[in-house]
Amino acid sequence: MTQLTIDGRTISVPEGTMVVDAAAKLGIDIPIYCYHQSLGPLGACRICLVEIEKMPKLQTACTTAVREGMVVRTGGPAVEKGRQGILEFLLINHPLDCPVCDKGGECFLQDYSFWYGAGKNRFEESKIQRRKDYPVSSYILLDQERCVLCQRCIRFMGEYVGEEQLMLEGRGVHTVVSTVEGQPATSPYAGNVIDLCPVGALLSEPYHFKARPWNIEREETLCSVCPVGCASLVTGRDGRAVRLEGRPQPELNDYGFLCDHGRFTYDYTYHPRRLTAAELDGAPQSPSAVIAAVGERLARAVAEAGPESVGVLTGGTHTVEEEWALARFAQDVVGTSRLGLVKPVAGDLPLALLGTFGDLAAATGVLLLGVDPYEAVPVVHLKLREARRAHPVAVWGLGDRTLTRATLPGDDYVVEPGRVAAALGAVLGGGDLDERWQALAEGLLTTERLVVLWDGADPGAAAALAQLAARRAGPTAVLPTHGPRNWLGAVRAGIPADDAAARGILEDAAEGRLSALILLGADPIRDFPDGDLAARALERVPSVYFMGAFAPEPRHALAAILPTAVWAEVTGTYANMEGRLQVAHGAAAAPGPARPVRPLVTALARAFGRPLRLGDDFDPFADQDGDRIARPPASQVPEDPAAPAPLRIREGEWALITGEVVAVSHPPSEIAERSRDRFPLRLNPADADRLGLRPEGGLVEVSQAERRFVAGARRDARIPEGRVFVPRGLPEVPVNRLDRGAGVRVALADRVPEGVAAQ
Amino acid sequence: MGSPRPDRHYLLRQRDVSGIHQLAVYREHGGYQALQQALEANQPDQLVELTKASGLRGRGGAGFPTGMKWSFLPKDGRARVLVVNADEGEPGTFKDRELMEGNPHQLIEGMIITCFAIGAPESYVYIRGEFLHGYERLTAAIREAEEAGILGERVMGTDFSHRMFVYRGAGAYICGEETALLESLEGKRGNPRSKPPFPAVAGLYGRPTVVNNVETIMNLPPLVLEGADWYRQWGTEKSPGLKVMSVSGHVNRPGNYEVPLDWTLAELIEAAGGVRTGHQVKAVIPGGSSMPCMPASQLDTPIDYESLVQAGSMLGSGGCIVMDETTCMVRAVARVVRFYRNESCGKCTPCREGTFWLTDILDRLERGDGEMSDLDTLLDVSDNINGKAFCALGDAAVGFLVSALKHFREEFVEHITGQRCPLGARQYDTVNH
Repeated sequence: MTQLTIDGRTISVPEGTMVVDAAAKLGIDIPIYCYHQSLGPLGACRICLVEIEKMPKLQTACTTAVREGMVVRTGGPAVEKGRQGILEFLLINHPLDCPVCDKGGECFLQDYSFWYGAGKNRFEESKIQRRKDYPVSSYILLDQERCVLCQRCIRFMGEYVGEEQLMLEGRGVHTVVSTVEGQPATSPYAGNVIDLCPVGALLSEPYHFKARPWNIEREETLCSVCPVGCASLVTGRDGRAVRLEGRPQPELNDYGFLCDHGRFTYDYTYHPRRLTAAELDGAPQSPSAVIAAVGERLARAVAEAGPESVGVLTGGTHTVEEEWALARFAQDVVGTSRLGLVKPVAGDLPLALLGTFGDLAAATGVLLLGVDPYEAVPVVHLKLREARRAHPVAVWGLGDRTLTRATLPGDDYVVEPGRVAAALGAVLGGGDLDERWQALAEGLLTTERLVVLWDGADPGAAAALAQLAARRAGPTAVLPTHGPRNWLGAVRAGIPADDAAARGILEDAAEGRLSALILLGADPIRDFPDGDLAARALERVPSVYFMGAFAPEPRHALAAILPTAVWAEVTGTYANMEGRLQVAHGAAAAPGPARPVRPLVTALARAFGRPLRLGDDFDPFADQDGDRIARPPASQVPEDPAAPAPLRIREGEWALITGEVVAVSHPPSEIAERSRDRFPLRLNPADADRLGLRPEGGLVEVSQAERRFVAGARRDARIPEGRVFVPRGLPEVPVNRLDRGAGVRVALADRVPEGVAAQ
Repeated sequence: MGSPRPDRHYLLRQRDVSGIHQLAVYREHGGYQALQQALEANQPDQLVELTKASGLRGRGGAGFPTGMKWSFLPKDGRARVLVVNADEGEPGTFKDRELMEGNPHQLIEGMIITCFAIGAPESYVYIRGEFLHGYERLTAAIREAEEAGILGERVMGTDFSHRMFVYRGAGAYICGEETALLESLEGKRGNPRSKPPFPAVAGLYGRPTVVNNVETIMNLPPLVLEGADWYRQWGTEKSPGLKVMSVSGHVNRPGNYEVPLDWTLAELIEAAGGVRTGHQVKAVIPGGSSMPCMPASQLDTPIDYESLVQAGSMLGSGGCIVMDETTCMVRAVARVVRFYRNESCGKCTPCREGTFWLTDILDRLERGDGEMSDLDTLLDVSDNINGKAFCALGDAAVGFLVSALKHFREEFVEHITGQRCPLGARQYDTVNH
C-alpha cells in the first residue's frame, strides 16, 4: 500500500494505482476523457492535469502512478488554468451543436465545460469541417466534428475486444477516428463504444434523434436476452423502451460492457409479432372474458380428470416473482405437481457446482465444454479476455467443433458429435490417452482454479463434472451457458428446472394423459430438445392455454392466449447464470391488454374459484446466500451416463451439430434485422468447396428422411469436415426436430421452395 | 575565445578523406581499429565507463549523458537492443544526413561498439525516409561489413555476433521522438508512448532498448582509440567535445561545421563565412526550429548546453538558423508554427488544437488582419500548450514564437497597427502547406 495526500486528505491505495483512481476513492472528481479503467492510461486528452509537489510541471493524474508521500492538489490557479486551456482547445473545432446532439445533457464535454470551463470563447478563426453521421457499423454513427480523440473506442476494440475495427486516420489537427479500410465495424461488441464515448461523437443509430434526457425514464435494468443478464440501463420514452446502455457495477468489478445482440434488441417489446390481444378459441376476446373462460374450463378439467391432468410449463423468461406466482397457481390453485421449465438442452447442472463471474476472473484454467462463449454468451467471452489481461489463463475447448478462437486462443479437443461427456469421462478415467489428451487431463486436474463453461447439451457431462470437481484439489466452478434467461430464477421460485420434469409433462400430454396444458412464455416445440415430442404433446392435449408475449406455433393448438407484460415493463428480480439475483426496473408500459403475470394469475385463480392470496411473503433474496440462489450440496451423484449409441451416418451423409448462437436466438427485433446473419449454417471450407458454395455463402438444403429445410450457409474453418452446424432455434432449420444420432444430406439449393420457409 | 579548431575532422571525416564511405578506404585510414581494440579488450563495462568519463552527451537534442543512458538498462539478463535515431527532421538540422552519406562505416563501427558495450545482439537504424542517398550508402556499407565479417555471426572472429537492420521512416517529424520512433519501427502509427515504462525497460517490442542519435554513436570509435581525456580537450567541463553544427540562413557559407562546444555563436557564424555580406545578424536560433531564438546582442554566448540554457535557448540538435535584418519575424514564426501544426501527431489536445489555433492567428497577423488582443491570446495559448502536451513537440512548437514575441514584440505590433508587414515581406506561399 502506498500512502499519499490529495487535497489535504490522506489515503492509502495499492501500489501502482493511478492518482485519478486514488482521488476517486476520496470522492474527489478529476475530469477525464481518455482514461478508462478497463483500458489503462493513455495521457492524450490532458484534462486531468493536477499539481504534484516537487514536480515543476502539471502532471496528468491518469498516467501518474501514486508514490509514497506524494502530495497532490486537484485545484488551485495552475490546475484551473490548465483545465480551462484544455477545454478551450477541445471546443475550438467542436461544432457546438448541443441542441441537436443526442448526447446533449449526458455529455462530459458539456459537464466539464460548465464545471471547469472559462465560460467564454476566444476562438475567432474558422472551424474544421468533418464527416457527420458517418455509419461505422449497422448500429453506430460517428460525428467526427464532436470527437475529442480520446481513443477509448479504438483502444476498446483493439486491445480489449481484440477486433481492430476502428483506427485513427490523418495527422495532427486533421486526425479523425474511422473504420479500418472503410469497412463497417462488425464486432458484436462494437456498440460499447457508444457508452465509452465521453462526448457526442459515437451515437446509437436506432436512438438517433429519439429523445432528450428530460424526455426519458432511464432505469436500472438487466439485459433480458441471454443468461449473462448484463447490468444495464433502459431508456423509456412515451411508454416504450428506446435504448439500452451498459451499467458498470464497480462492486462486482464489472465495467458494464454489453454485446450488440442485447443492446439492440430492446424493440422486441413492441415487435409486430408481440401479442397485444387476448384470444379464446382463435377469436379475439377481452382479457377478462378469456380469463373467466380459462378459469372455468380449468376448474372443470380438474373436477373431471383430477388436478394431475393439468400440466404447467414455464419458458423461464419472466421475473422470479412472476415465476413464483405461476408455481403458486399450479400448486395451490390447480393442485397439480406437473410443473416444469422448458430449456433447450437436456443437461442438468448439480447446483452445488454453480460458479460466479468472480471465479471466472480468478480462474487459472477454463474449459469450454461444448460452448463458444463468443456466440452463446458474448460478454462472458469479454470477461475471459479481461481475466487473461490480469494473469495467465489456460483455455481448453472440448466439443464437436473448434471452440477457441483468435481472440481467445487455447487448445481444442474436437470429438465426435454427442461424445462430449464420454470424452470428458475418458479423460478423467485415465486409461489409454495419447499425449495430447494426457495434457488435457493433467491441465484439468492440476490447474489451480478451474472454471467450466458448459452448454448443457450432453446430459452425461453432469456426472463427469461432479467427478472432476471431486478429483481436483483446487476449486471447480461451473457456469451453465444455456438459457432460458431466468431459468435459475425459476429454480429460486421453486419450479423444477430439470429436463425430466418438462419431459414427463410433455410425454404425459403426448400420450393423452393431460386434459390441459398451461404455458407461461414457453415454446416447447421451438425450444425443447425433442421438438417432435413437444409437437405431439401440443397436438394431443385438449386445451393449451398460453400466457406470454410471443405466441408459439402452431397457433391453432392454443385454446387461449393471454398477453403478458415482459422485461422493461415490470419491476422484478432475475437470476443470471451465476444464480445471482438482481432487480430490473421497468421503464416502459405494457402494450394494450398485456398484463403482468401476477395479476393475471390471481384473476385466473378467482375465475377458477379458488382465490390466490399472493401476499408479500415471498422475497427472492430471503436466502442464507444473500444475492445468490441457494446451491444445495448434491443429494446424489449424477448417474454415469450410458455409453452413447453409435452415430448412424451413411455414405454421403453429414453429421448434424448445433449450439447456442445468441445472434440467432435473441427475441425478434426489427433493429437487429439489419445485421441478421443471412448464412447462419456453417460448413468446413473444404466441404463448401466440394458442394460449390459461393465464397460469400449461399442457400443449402438440409434433409433427413422426408424432411427438407433450406437456409443460408457459409464457410467456417472451425467446423470439422463432414459436419454441418445449425444454430439452435433457427426457424428455417428446426434442429431439435431432426435426429442428431443420424446423418443428414446437404445439397446446394438455389431458392427457398414453397412451404419450406420459416414455420 | 573557445578551444582551438581541431587539427582534423573526427566525425565529418569525408571532408579530409575522399571515398571514406567505402570499407577499404575507411580501413586504410584506421577504420574498425577501435572496434577491434574494444573486442580484444573484451570489457564491455569499461566501454560504458569510458563513455561516462568522456562526458559525451546525446546529440539528438536533449543532451542527456550517453553513458548514463546506457547504465539505465535493467540488469535482468534480457537481450538489449540499440536503435539509432537517424530520423533527422528538425528544420535547420542536417548533420546526420551528411554524416551517414559521407562516413557510414563510422556509424556502423560506433553501433557495434555500443552494442558490444550494452550487450545487444541486434540493432536498428531508423532513417528518415527522404534520406534515400544516405539509406543506400548505409545499406551498402552494412553489406560490405557483413561480407568482411565485421557484422553477422562472430564479429571479427570473436564470440560476439551482431545483426543490423535499417528501416526507412515514412516522413513524420514526430518519429524523431524516441517512443514514437519505436512505435513506427514496430509498424504502428507514429505516436509517442507513455513513459514510464522508459525504453530502457520496455522499448522496441518490449525489450530493453537504447535509442541514440547518429552523431552520438559516431563519437565512439575516436573515443575508444583516443580516450576520454583527448575528448575533453574541447568544450567545457559539462559539455565536452566536438559538435557538428548545421549553420543555415543568412550566412555566406551555410553547411555543417565540426566545432568545439565552447565556441561562441559569433565564432560559429564566422566559421560559416560570416553573416550575408552587407547585412547584420538580427536573430539566431541556435538549436533547430524548436528552440527559442536569441537576438544579435547575445551572439557572444558560448554554444555549450549550459550557456545556451542560461541565455534562454538550447543547443538542441545543433541546427543554427541565422536571420539577418531583412527577416520578418512574424512570417518566420508563422512558418515555423505551421510546420509544427502539420507535424503534430494529433494524439494530445494542446498540441493538436493549440498549434492549429496559433497558426490561424499568425496567418491573420501576417496578412495585416491582427488585433492587439491577438498578442495576449498568442502568449496565453502558448502557455496552455507549453508543459501540458504529451511529448516535447508541443513545447517545441511555441519556443520560437514566445521568444520572438519577447525580443521582437514591436514588429508584431507594427503588423497590427500598420495592417501590413513593415519589412514588405511577401506573405509566404501557402500552396505547399
